[in-house]
Amino acid sequence: MSNLSEVKTQQNVGIAQAQSSNLQITQTKSVNLKDTTQSHSEAKQEEGNVISDILQEHLLDHHSYNFFNVFHIDLPVILYDKQLYLYPSMKSMMAEGTFTEIHHQIVRKDTQQPPKLDMSITALVMFQWLSILLLLFAFITSAKKYKKQPKTAPKGLQNMLEVLVLYIRDEIVRPNISSKRLADVLSPYFVALFFFILVMNLFGLIPGGHSATGNLAVTAGLSIIAYFVINGSAIFHVGFSHWLKELTGGAPWGIWIIMIPIEILSMFTKPFALTIRLFANMTAGHVIIFSLLGLIFMLHTFAIVPISIGFSLFIYTLELLVAFIQAYVFTILTAVFVGLTTAEHSLEH
Amino acid sequence: MDPKALAFLAAGLGAGMSVIGAGVGIGKLAASALESAGRQPEASGKLQTMMIIAAALIEGVALFAEVISLLLAIK
Repeated sequence: MSNLSEVKTQQNVGIAQAQSSNLQITQTKSVNLKDTTQSHSEAKQEEGNVISDILQEHLLDHHSYNFFNVFHIDLPVILYDKQLYLYPSMKSMMAEGTFTEIHHQIVRKDTQQPPKLDMSITALVMFQWLSILLLLFAFITSAKKYKKQPKTAPKGLQNMLEVLVLYIRDEIVRPNISSKRLADVLSPYFVALFFFILVMNLFGLIPGGHSATGNLAVTAGLSIIAYFVINGSAIFHVGFSHWLKELTGGAPWGIWIIMIPIEILSMFTKPFALTIRLFANMTAGHVIIFSLLGLIFMLHTFAIVPISIGFSLFIYTLELLVAFIQAYVFTILTAVFVGLTTAEHSLEH
Repeated sequence: MDPKALAFLAAGLGAGMSVIGAGVGIGKLAASALESAGRQPEASGKLQTMMIIAAALIEGVALFAEVISLLLAIK
């Protein structure tokens, strides 16, 4: 009994302390912001906020791009709500007055509802376009070299791209897609997929960069394209009736009632798994790096610095590997799924 | 107990337990892939591809669990 009461009083004391510290925070904030005698708990809370702010800044999408407070780019806001609204930046949208921002979300001022469609050029869209431009530059320059000197051995960038492109064609696409004609038709898609994902992944590892693949919308978009490629190539290659027949899983008609729902479900789970895999892999690495660096600010000691810097460097190099592996995995799994749906089953029967 | 605290507890436990499952799965996968590569070194290229595909599938299931835990912790 005495133990219990002791615990209770301790709890009460703890609650009282927490309340008083809360009061202190509100007082210091309201009375005088220049007051240098900040309470310890306030400083700690602010540091926690700083870390979560940096994390949000890095992981979430924004209507502007900020490079370490060195330079700041306002990105256009494009909204559709019964009519098209175009604003050059977030500030001009606020000034115009039809829409406003509440909790990082754009809402109509009069109804407090979000607009029907938000097609803004956000920071992640900017990074996707940057990676597209980078890839266009790399591939067009090396393609020009092939046209100019078709007989000489490739050099530099051209050499690197040739190795990767040939690897994708010979090791990913051709072994998995049995029909050679279909494999050659789909090779450009797989090459584009691999390089696009790879460059987007790597952008997140450059200081100040964001990885667009760490956003569910981007990976879902890639997976929707993959879904159409998988089923479209099956329909074009083996024919619509054969594609429908595949839905029965080649089973006797008695268990069609189980097989057909399962097959239809698996048609959608494949791209869904691709979406989540890429998104979670890219997000997890960034969160781990920030958590390790956040330890320094949480624990207030220099002793933790070598540990957290060392571990975050290790995670960073691991992320470099993961960027390549995830691009590879997305590409090879799409190729495997295309191969599965277009496979000739004549040998099985 | 406070429902919010329970949600955090569930998120942490869920993340940890799914990692145990994925770790065991990928460990067994890598062990048997290495064993077969040792037995048949000429097939190691093909084995590696198949190993990465299987690892990605195992990891995918674990990541579903991680995302659910993350949602529990954020909401």
